[in-house]
Amino acid sequence: MTTAPTPRPARRASNVLPMLAVALVAVLIYWPLMLWANAGQAARSLASGADLGCGTALQCATQLRNPVIPAPGQFASGFQSLSVPPLAATSAPYNALVTGGETLLGLALASLLGLILATLLVRSRSFERATLPWLVASQTVPIVALAPMLAVLLGQFGVQGFFPKAVIAAYIAFFPVAIGMVQGLRSPDPLQLDLMRTYRASPAQTFGLLQIPASLPYLFTSLKVAATAALVGSIVAEISTISFSGLGKMLAENSRASDTVALWVIMIYGAALGIVLVALIGLLERLVTRWRPSA
Amino acid sequence: MATQRVTVPLAAPRPLSGWPLLLLSGLGLLGLSFALARLAAPPTSPALWLLGVLLLLLLGIFGIRQSAQGETLAARTVPAAATLILFVLAVEALLRTYGVPTGLIPTPSKVMQSLWAARSVLLQDAYYTFILEALLGFVIGAALGLLLALFAVRFRFLERGLLPYAALLSSVPIVALAPVVIKAVGLGWPSKTIIVAITVLFPVVINTVRGLQSAQRMHLDLMHSYAASPTQVFREVRWPSALPFVFTALRVSSTLALINAIVAEFFGTEGHGLGFRIQIEVGRFGLDIVWAAIVVASVIGISFYLLIAAAQRRLLPGR
Amino acid sequence: MTQVVLPPSSPTLMTPPIVSVRDLGMVFPVPGGQTVALQDANLQIMPGEFISLIGPSGCGKTTLLRLMADLITPTSGELTVNGGTPRSARENRAYGYVFQAPALMEWRNVLSNVRLPLEVMNAPRDGRDSRAREMLKLVGLEKFERSYPWQLSGGMQQRVSIARALAFDPAILLMDEPFGALDEITRENLNLELLRLWRETGKTVVFVTHSISEAVFLSTRVVVMTARPGKIEGIVNIDLPQPRSDDSREDPRFFEYATQIRELLRKGHS
Repeated sequence: MTTAPTPRPARRASNVLPMLAVALVAVLIYWPLMLWANAGQAARSLASGADLGCGTALQCATQLRNPVIPAPGQFASGFQSLSVPPLAATSAPYNALVTGGETLLGLALASLLGLILATLLVRSRSFERATLPWLVASQTVPIVALAPMLAVLLGQFGVQGFFPKAVIAAYIAFFPVAIGMVQGLRSPDPLQLDLMRTYRASPAQTFGLLQIPASLPYLFTSLKVAATAALVGSIVAEISTISFSGLGKMLAENSRASDTVALWVIMIYGAALGIVLVALIGLLERLVTRWRPSA
Repeated sequence: MATQRVTVPLAAPRPLSGWPLLLLSGLGLLGLSFALARLAAPPTSPALWLLGVLLLLLLGIFGIRQSAQGETLAARTVPAAATLILFVLAVEALLRTYGVPTGLIPTPSKVMQSLWAARSVLLQDAYYTFILEALLGFVIGAALGLLLALFAVRFRFLERGLLPYAALLSSVPIVALAPVVIKAVGLGWPSKTIIVAITVLFPVVINTVRGLQSAQRMHLDLMHSYAASPTQVFREVRWPSALPFVFTALRVSSTLALINAIVAEFFGTEGHGLGFRIQIEVGRFGLDIVWAAIVVASVIGISFYLLIAAAQRRLLPGR
Repeated sequence: MTQVVLPPSSPTLMTPPIVSVRDLGMVFPVPGGQTVALQDANLQIMPGEFISLIGPSGCGKTTLLRLMADLITPTSGELTVNGGTPRSARENRAYGYVFQAPALMEWRNVLSNVRLPLEVMNAPRDGRDSRAREMLKLVGLEKFERSYPWQLSGGMQQRVSIARALAFDPAILLMDEPFGALDEITRENLNLELLRLWRETGKTVVFVTHSISEAVFLSTRVVVMTARPGKIEGIVNIDLPQPRSDDSREDPRFFEYATQIRELLRKGHS
């Protein structure tokens, strides 16, 4: 009388080949685009009589000091000068680690605060009615606009260094996390709540054994959404305060120095950091919610 | 089959009304603020004033609790409105009690004064940030995103090759992108429009593709049994089932567009825009103007979101 | 609407009923009035009986079950379980409740789902797993203790939820259309299995269903209920020989009982 368990979902066809094809097209477009984007500036420089050590605008396009789009050689040397040695105070990997650490600490803080707020919201209807509309509205408000001000304020009260950036990251991630947790805490089936009641479970038991585990997938979904926003928050916070490390500080410095090759390199590091952070949260999610099918 | 539904008015005990409490608390806080404003210097015994504010707040919280009972329209809207009003009034009274310098934390009344005084500058900033950058970028990004999604669904190869990158790129922080684009395009507003368009593009592509694929197998089979043309299948089944997804993306992007326009302005402008205003005023400790700019941005952000949500309700009733 | 109450199997003086329902009524407030979900219900359930509640939707069978389980409180009448209130019975953990859906916790594997009530009730730590394994063996799922709910079929999930209901050895098993969502073959298999469990454990079972043949096949008595307002139309004693098997379905009396129940249902419907 045993019925076979439902089979795991079949793996989808591999995306590797199409992805490689798209990457190849991107590389093929890059070269003419780079020449076209830089040629104008090269022509202007030549016309003003600068000695670039090259003949025509097209030839000079790969050798500008501050190109619009760097040439492959410039990319390579830019990467090398910003990445070697990786843990020096001026190199991008080190600063990416600092920013990443701030963001992760911020996300952890946001999860804690979000859980507390969500618990209050789920427990008290009058609290929910009084505050939930503003929490939802606050998601449409450019909260990050507060970051520079918050950074200044925290500086006034002597909070400096690593922590204020994490606070700002937490501040930005906190609302989506709280909203997600409210959904999660409410997600248990009414039947499951009835079940706990027939067991005469205490409210704490229902909370710990049913509501918290049920809300974990929601927590991770909102953390993934919040991670990018929190990263933006830490970088903006680094720019708006006196910082000695972090990608934001590097961006601010190189932006002032108009070093476009460095800006491109930092952009790629920032992009990679964003992707890595989301992937890290995804990994943590798989570790914590092991019960779910791996689709 | 007789439906026996006895209609007996349930004589529920009327709960104590929250209105008088809310009114008392609100007027009390307002009175305190006025009294404090008339004083030449901050009061010498702030503890007494603090006690007053806290007592009135407690009264207000109790009033909010009372007015949140039941399922009437008032029970659903009054608590939220009262919370905002009482919060603003309490902040005003507390800041005045302790004489916090307005350069550090401006009182709400000071913010409102500054908002009014600087209204023409702020409106011009809002015009740049919202109309030229956020809205235009939103429209361009959404249109491109829809187009790209249609291509991706039409050519499976493109979908499998492009979509993973779109998902990857949507977790890239825009602040990393902003300096490069601004350096390449220039300090004027078009660079910010492009940044907004790029950030709107990815969620729209991802959601639209997901929506176009969400068509039910049964509906597709039905159309197949009618020997419907691909265009008909698209118009009757695929597009209607994609619409809710498209609107979800548009709603999310509407808030992202404004936020990203402001953040992008932190990296260079020609002296216009709310983000520029915020950055420059933070630098010279004009925090009242900063708050005023945030108020303006919030009102625009919420209105834009509500507009898109209203459009969705209009076009997709019942969803 | 006349109420025909067939005489219930007369309770002997020696054993008091485990569930006693007297003039029980339940009224739910709805916008602008109220709905009578249950009216004047009378029922005595003896220890070890298998009682089915049958009727159309809206007849109050689930309401009656939820009243017994103290998930809701009656608005009139009297209800005792084990001689006390439903609340005290719940607090003494007298019920195992099986719902329409398995309601398993998807983050727990099969073994720890069955262990859940023992954890909530602070049963001795070292006995929990062996007890849960014993229950899984009873429902024939001992090989699946490490699986997660999504890996099981609907019928297997419902068996896990029965094992979970039995884990803390409750006196009464309350089952609310537990096999309603399953296909016919699986349902008949689980019916046989449930009867075996009932014989082996000697529990009192109150079983809600909307299938006449299921009710006749399983029960010692069938309580027929009608809707609007929900009330008990009649009670039918099922005197088929025990232990029942697939052959019981061929017994001519099986059809007589089924017809009798169908007529009671029709009468309430007109």
